[in-house]
Amino acid sequence: MSMETKKEQGVFVISPIGRLDTNTSPDAERLIVEAIDSGEKNVVMDYTSTEYISSAGLRVVLKTAKLLKPKGGVIVVCNGNEQITEVFEISGFSGMVASFNSLEEAVSSLN
Amino acid sequence: MDKIQKILVVDDERLNINLLVELLKPSYKMMAAINGQQAIKAANSNSPPDLILLDIMMPEMDGYEVCKQLKNDPKTKDIPIIFVTAMGQEESEAKGLDLGAADYLTKPISPAIVEARVKTQLALKQRHEELKSAYKIIEEQKKRMQNELDVGREIQLAMVPSIFPASHMYNIYASLEPAREVGGDFYDVFNIDEEHVCFCVGDVSGKGVPAALFMAMAKTLIKSRASNDPSTASIVTHVNDELSQDNEGCLFVTLFVCILNTLTGKVLTTNAGHNPPILRRANGVIELLKRLDGPVVAAIEGFAYKEGFVQLNKGDSLLLFTDGVTEADTAHGEFYGDPRLVSLFENTENRSPKQMVEQILSDVHEFEGQGRQADDITVMVLDYLGEMQSEQDKTISFQVTNALNEIEKVVDLFDEFATNNKVNQKVKSTISMALDDLLTNVVSYAYNDEQQHKIGVRISVVESSIVVVITDDGMPFNPFQMENPNTKASIEERDMGGLGIHLVKKMFDHVAYHRNIEKNVVTLVKQFTAK
Repeated sequence: MSMETKKEQGVFVISPIGRLDTNTSPDAERLIVEAIDSGEKNVVMDYTSTEYISSAGLRVVLKTAKLLKPKGGVIVVCNGNEQITEVFEISGFSGMVASFNSLEEAVSSLN
Repeated sequence: MDKIQKILVVDDERLNINLLVELLKPSYKMMAAINGQQAIKAANSNSPPDLILLDIMMPEMDGYEVCKQLKNDPKTKDIPIIFVTAMGQEESEAKGLDLGAADYLTKPISPAIVEARVKTQLALKQRHEELKSAYKIIEEQKKRMQNELDVGREIQLAMVPSIFPASHMYNIYASLEPAREVGGDFYDVFNIDEEHVCFCVGDVSGKGVPAALFMAMAKTLIKSRASNDPSTASIVTHVNDELSQDNEGCLFVTLFVCILNTLTGKVLTTNAGHNPPILRRANGVIELLKRLDGPVVAAIEGFAYKEGFVQLNKGDSLLLFTDGVTEADTAHGEFYGDPRLVSLFENTENRSPKQMVEQILSDVHEFEGQGRQADDITVMVLDYLGEMQSEQDKTISFQVTNALNEIEKVVDLFDEFATNNKVNQKVKSTISMALDDLLTNVVSYAYNDEQQHKIGVRISVVESSIVVVITDDGMPFNPFQMENPNTKASIEERDMGGLGIHLVKKMFDHVAYHRNIEKNVVTLVKQFTAK
């Protein structure tokens, strides 16, 4: 399992590959915190290659949202599969974090 | 006799009264009445006489009439009456005795005879009163014993389970019908771990509260020992040692204890003085499990019990029972007996264990006739359903240690299992999530020591559902009782507490928790459609 990060039209994008759970979330969190520390204002989490997300994965999303809020920034997500979509709905995260069907839409919502 | 007894003399002649009073005064307290009315009044007073000497020939109300009235009144009927008659009145004497008099004296009276007869009657009355109070004590005791038996029955019925574990490998049912005067039957069925189920039937000697408490002890000892002892011989040896100590009531219990490996069908058995169970093979062949592994439990401290094993195959059925079944008898003294039970068990097809148990119970009752049940009746039936090979392919069962990086292993194993069983992506992701969230909780919160612990995971495909069972030996905790998180909170207010459990609860078709012998057992069921 690994994390890919890139800049898409100037926006920081992180893509968890495989599972986003107890064992992989700390990596995602570390990469996001580093990016915010180095001045990133917004974050896109792209789930294109993510198999599933557990509450540990949601924790990273919430922590990122809390870090960005005072800086006037946001986290948005995109390309979640059925399980990820259901988790966002049941947890109420879909009301807190904007979700898009493509990376382009996600990135352009931030520009 | 501590109390001085009182004698009432009734005569219309003062002279006769004085004569008797003078004679008896040294030994008794004397009262006198000079006519029938006075006599009846004295007998009804707050301080009634213990004996009445009654003259027959009196004006207005004669002695017969007085006697009749006193004997008709429950308050005075137990006071003995001795008639005093003139010589040559034998017919009168007979009439007096018919009316309920105790004895008679003839005038002129002889002091020795009067003293002897009075003494005899008073002694008789004394015995009569003692009997009456003894009878009262017996009645009270009887009532107390009945209350005790009722308490015993309540303990007994509260101790035996009415909900039974089951799986696609086996099905089990049992029932206990207590006799009017409670015997000490019991049974138990419980899961030891994901693969093993323990079941037993027993019969404690004796009745009432002591038998019920002994039974409760036996049952508890079996269950706690079975949690970490895979040998029925060792379990029964241990239970025997515990129950033999301080067994002042000299109670004992017959036991048949089994441990079934649900995956392989192998049953370990130990028979401690119990009547042999009956095994019906799938092809209808009957086998009596006659093997005996030791004496009744609690009789010989230190006895080392043995064990045997029986291989159950698909379609085999095992019947355990107590002697209340085979020793049930009719009003004519005929016994129900093994042959009738065997033929009932052997001829019945396509029935569940519950139906079999109910059929046996109703047949026993029909045999005995109404309201005759003399002893407790216990019947337990286990059907082995297992198809070993194919079912094993549809189940994975393994243990991991309590470390977060072990969860990766669990999800890897499940991935492979899900692929082999063509589980669709969404269900696969949902179960992976649940494994991650539940195991993270167990590893992080279930243990307050630094020890290594084993966590059991068992995943099976049952028809179109996936069943996940997670077992841990951590502190008792029912995750599904946690409060739901507030999913409407804003980013600032939002925390993560309880979110993983909430997701599992919402995304599965069925979730359950139970505490099973020092273990937390969480079961999840998710419907799926193969890809």
